[in-house]
Amino acid sequence: MRVILKTRPRAKPKIPIEAETIIPQNFLGNDIRVFEGNKERRLQDLFYVTIEGPAVSPDQIEVVLTGDTGVLKRVGEYMNAGRIIVEGDIGMHCGNFMSAGEIIIKGNADAWLGREMRGGTIRCEGNAGHYCAAGYRGEKRGMRGGIVEVCGNAGDFAAEYLCGGEIRIHGNCGDMPGVEMRGGTLIIGGNCSRPCGNMTGGTCKIFGNVAGFLPTFRRNGTEEAEYKKKRYLMDAFRGDIANRGKGTVLVKR
Amino acid sequence: MTELLVKNAFVIDPLSGIKGEIMDLAIRDGKIVEEVGNGAVVIDAEGCLTLPGGIDSHSHVCGTKVNFGRYMSPEDMRAGRTARKGVMHVTSGYSVPTTYGNSYRYSTMGYTTVLEGAMAPLEARHTHEEFTATPHQDMLANTLFDGNWAIMEAVKERDVKRAAAVVAWTLSAVRGFAIKLTNPGGTEAWGWGEDVHSIHDPVPHFGVTPAEIIDTMIQANELLNLPHSVHLHCNNLGVPGNYRTTLETIERVPDVNPDRQSLYLTHVQFHAYGGSTWRDICSRSEDIARAVNQRPHIAIDMGQIMFGRTTTMTADGPMEFKLYMLHHNKWSNHDVELETGSGIIPVYYSRKSLVNCVMWAIGLELALLVRDPWQCMLATDNPNGAPFVKYPEIIALLMSRRYREKEGEMIDPKTGHYAPLFAIDRELDWYEIAVMTRAAQAKALGITRIGKGYLAPGAEADIAIYPLKPDQLDPSTDYQQVAAGFSRTRYTIKRGRMVARDGEVIVEGANSTIWSRAQVPAEYDMNHDSEFVKKFEQYYTVRMRNYPVQDVYLPRGICIGTESSL
Repeated sequence: MRVILKTRPRAKPKIPIEAETIIPQNFLGNDIRVFEGNKERRLQDLFYVTIEGPAVSPDQIEVVLTGDTGVLKRVGEYMNAGRIIVEGDIGMHCGNFMSAGEIIIKGNADAWLGREMRGGTIRCEGNAGHYCAAGYRGEKRGMRGGIVEVCGNAGDFAAEYLCGGEIRIHGNCGDMPGVEMRGGTLIIGGNCSRPCGNMTGGTCKIFGNVAGFLPTFRRNGTEEAEYKKKRYLMDAFRGDIANRGKGTVLVKR
Repeated sequence: MTELLVKNAFVIDPLSGIKGEIMDLAIRDGKIVEEVGNGAVVIDAEGCLTLPGGIDSHSHVCGTKVNFGRYMSPEDMRAGRTARKGVMHVTSGYSVPTTYGNSYRYSTMGYTTVLEGAMAPLEARHTHEEFTATPHQDMLANTLFDGNWAIMEAVKERDVKRAAAVVAWTLSAVRGFAIKLTNPGGTEAWGWGEDVHSIHDPVPHFGVTPAEIIDTMIQANELLNLPHSVHLHCNNLGVPGNYRTTLETIERVPDVNPDRQSLYLTHVQFHAYGGSTWRDICSRSEDIARAVNQRPHIAIDMGQIMFGRTTTMTADGPMEFKLYMLHHNKWSNHDVELETGSGIIPVYYSRKSLVNCVMWAIGLELALLVRDPWQCMLATDNPNGAPFVKYPEIIALLMSRRYREKEGEMIDPKTGHYAPLFAIDRELDWYEIAVMTRAAQAKALGITRIGKGYLAPGAEADIAIYPLKPDQLDPSTDYQQVAAGFSRTRYTIKRGRMVARDGEVIVEGANSTIWSRAQVPAEYDMNHDSEFVKKFEQYYTVRMRNYPVQDVYLPRGICIGTESSL
């Protein structure tokens, strides 16, 4: 089944829409309601809904979001099957806690993309905002599994509290990617600054330049790593020794 | 003049000797009276269990460290949100909820009086402000004296009367209720990077021992005739093998007061561990319970832990630091100048952890092995053992052996080797639960004199009516109904006014703060003691005249005045 949701023109187009109910498993017959600001609305009030074909289980459902999608928050929260395709930008908290399925974002994603996700795949073809695949305030375990791929740049604090899974950011990262990392893999294709502060585990591979590398990492020889089918010689570091950490940071020579 | 009549109530009122009778309760102007006129509002209790309003004798709900727990745990704030509804404010938080969250949840459980377990005197204003925002419970504040420099100097000089004078001045300055000693001497030693490991270890610089502090404070407490006894959190909390320290402490307490206990030991579960390391930790609840059974002048509370996420907070700084070294999670330690300290860390009690399972068993064993329910009160040291919303589950566990066994199947199977819980057949009855949740507290805190904890004419009309019919329920099999019933009253009546109905708070509250003031002779008035004033001005960062809490912080204060025997 293919569900196409095209946003309707609204009187106040800047009011964000809390759309945590837009997940494939909800399209098996439930009456879906979303909040526009503090007002509860039916899905049909805000979107032109087109449904093509049948489905018996959530993993046969593909939801396509088009139009002014940058104001949609929490799309894909607790998603466990199926696929969501966003034709434009997406708002904050896309893919919160998702455990399986796939989200493809053709435009940019706002902050907290894939926060504390447990599994599944998120692919963002534009840029991601701050706290990409991080843990929310106070949480000690961020993303625990799955894959997040950002083809453009990411903001500050990408992969904060990363615990498991893999994050690939092909562009540049902002300040402090991989801070408080405990496990998993973070791959940064471009430049970043002050990576991996306080990390205790996991691996971070950086194939660009690093600004302000922290002094609390110990040099640990060199290693080889592969990125986009090319092999690179990397400087290896262990740390963060300020936190008795056993993480690995690889930086292209 | 407002009148209320509760009809057909199944009343258990241990302090008045009522052990379950169908009767009517008449209320006029917030007090229980013999009878009311025909115009009274009538509530039909339909034979439901009716008890005096619940009293929590040890809970951390207000004050600086609770607030610090709130702002270091944003994830906890996301855990228990409720929306605005009628007069109810928005609430959030699970183990350290907002003040209104605490107040509403206590009220829907039938609790009308709560004692804040540890108030640092220097930070009393904040505590009183939060008391005002906890509108459905009358509040009391135990005041910390464990590392008070003036007290320790008096102890060093073996001057009990001076210690009493300092206590009297501080309690009336900060509007505190009773003396709390938290790891006496240990928190001061922590300020020097050390801890005390037995009650005979000297405190750095002062050279006094915890034993001397405890002895002196018990005597000072009696000299001032305070309503409550010394409220003690023993040394060595949470250390395997600490039951020896606890027994040693219990053994040295003389019976000094005919009306109530001489010493109240709080959260004893944390102080009843055998073994020598975390690997061979075992329950020593039998030894502790035997010691308590032999000494009617000792009262304890359980300090039960329940599995799940919570936040620990105590004035016991060194203990929290040790916990931090165990968990390596977020952590905070504070020092309160010249007085005490504190520490806060979030914890998760897991059914998979043998240590946690043994701790869980010890709390229940204490309640079951102490024969006299007047001596062992129900508390979790909220939120250290578990948030207080778990009380109904604990009641159900104590009333049903079958429930304990069922829980036992879900925890670490080795628990039975280290704790005798599953060999205990005792099941508490409704009367004993009524004692353990309100009557014993009222007696131990000495607040029966202001009409708390009973339902005889003249008492405050604090009443909890639970949707439980004791004649139709067998708690040992219907334990789920018992837990559900105790977690949501049908009606909670506070000072003659219905405040909660079926789990919803229906009025804006107006609580009062209960504090005690001991009258001392002029020569023991610390306001005019030149040495005390000089040291105060020299060491504190606040002026002595700015230190006392003004009356504006207690909109409805109730002062329990006593005559000292100084």
